[in-house]
Amino acid sequence: MGRREQVQNEELRGLIDESYAQMRQGQASDAVRTLVRCFLRLIELRPDLISRTIETAGGQRYPFLMSWPALGADLSFESLRKGKPEIELKRERFAISEAMTYYEFVLDTLLSSKM
Amino acid sequence: MKFGLFYELQLPKPYDRDTWDPDAERRIYHEMLEQVELADRVGFDYVFEVEHHFLEEYSHSSAPEMMLAALSQRTQNIRLGHGIVLTPPAYNPPARVAERIAALDLLSNGRVEFGTGESASHMEMAGFGVDRGSKKAMWEECTREITHMMVQTPYPGFKGEFFSMPARNVIPKPVQKPHPPIWVAASRRETTMVAARLGIGSLGFGFETPEELGERALEYYRLIREECMPLGHAINPALAVLNSLMIAESEEEALRRSASGPGFFSYSLGYYYNPMTGTRHRPGEDNLYRRYVDSSPEARSLFEARTESEIARSEPSEEVQRALYRAARNRGSIGTVESVRANLLRYEQQHLDTLIFVAQAGDRKHEHIMESIERFGKQVLPEFKERHETVHRKWRNEQLAGVDFAINSSI
Repeated sequence: MGRREQVQNEELRGLIDESYAQMRQGQASDAVRTLVRCFLRLIELRPDLISRTIETAGGQRYPFLMSWPALGADLSFESLRKGKPEIELKRERFAISEAMTYYEFVLDTLLSSKM
Repeated sequence: MKFGLFYELQLPKPYDRDTWDPDAERRIYHEMLEQVELADRVGFDYVFEVEHHFLEEYSHSSAPEMMLAALSQRTQNIRLGHGIVLTPPAYNPPARVAERIAALDLLSNGRVEFGTGESASHMEMAGFGVDRGSKKAMWEECTREITHMMVQTPYPGFKGEFFSMPARNVIPKPVQKPHPPIWVAASRRETTMVAARLGIGSLGFGFETPEELGERALEYYRLIREECMPLGHAINPALAVLNSLMIAESEEEALRRSASGPGFFSYSLGYYYNPMTGTRHRPGEDNLYRRYVDSSPEARSLFEARTESEIARSEPSEEVQRALYRAARNRGSIGTVESVRANLLRYEQQHLDTLIFVAQAGDRKHEHIMESIERFGKQVLPEFKERHETVHRKWRNEQLAGVDFAINSSI
């Protein structure tokens, strides 16, 4: 757990700061779009995330990126299979709790990736 | 640290039949009444009851408001928690939720905890026509409006994305002002942090280690102080997690009495929430308990209690899967009075607000659950209660220093 100030990469920190400001202003939909940009840029910079896997209780492994929250900005499995992850916005409008969820996920991934 | 009981109202089918005993559902409802009456007498702080639909064997608690209303007339002090109410409008129209919460608060003289959530199983969402991709947005929109309905006279009406209604005075109003404490079910760390950002309690389902919880508690309270945008009219800073309870004279006897409780709890939870199995359930036909008992030794071993070090060596890395894994294996508060006390001290040291016990689970026996509640209430709870009022309250007040939102919390 950490704070957005701990993100070292300036470009990514700029995006996470921008999304935070948008959340505070109640612009949840804009914040989600910014977080999607931030996450896709992170994957460009760290392509090893594409092959990172996590293990289930049954011992199976699946791609880490599939744990991206499916709250209307959904990561396509097909694009992940092709090695070029894409996130499709299924809705125009997002709620503040959805933006917060994406924010927490992106910030956690940035920090755990030491970016 | 405060303590509660958590009820799914589990009802495994008999191993050798595909139907329950005709009296089984009536029996577990009345057993729960007795267990909570005892918990109230020996000083437990909370009971939380789920709302689930169609999850046969895993949870037969689809109308918790009825049980909580009955309990409001049989108990004196214990707080009556929805753990949780499903607030997407297809499950419960928002005005009906506001009316029911307020009515229960009146009946119980202000003892309601308003837990909220959105559901995640295919059986429930498809059963009520709730879109998976929009359920969080539905939860937020409707929960926010429900709080307005409990406060505003008249409620001015609302035109939203998922729910609309004209101006009406939604009555009755609750005893607790501005409204009962709000919680959200949180199976992932992200949701706990969203709860902090929205100023509501986190009803955690994660079976975190005490050390993980310590870090989470600090971050939760930091977000309350620094980044909170309240969902309701008063905030409820509160962090609660689940733990399994079974106390007996010896460790061996406690494990024996714990029976398949934690294992079946986790197995059936995983079954309904896994898209591969939860979507294929045959209503009224499948026998989950038999499937659990007959699963391969390798699969069964996934659900057997282990020591903490064994768990740490083999547990999955993904958070929800890890929670299921721990729920099944972690001894939690299963043991003697002494070992349970030692386990709980580790949570207390990490500043957890509330620990909620799963006692009724799988094929555990009513008399063993009653004995555990009594032993815990008489031999363990008093010292924790005393330290809660002194040590924890002081720590929590320090965490909340400078917070200028209205607070309504029972912690």
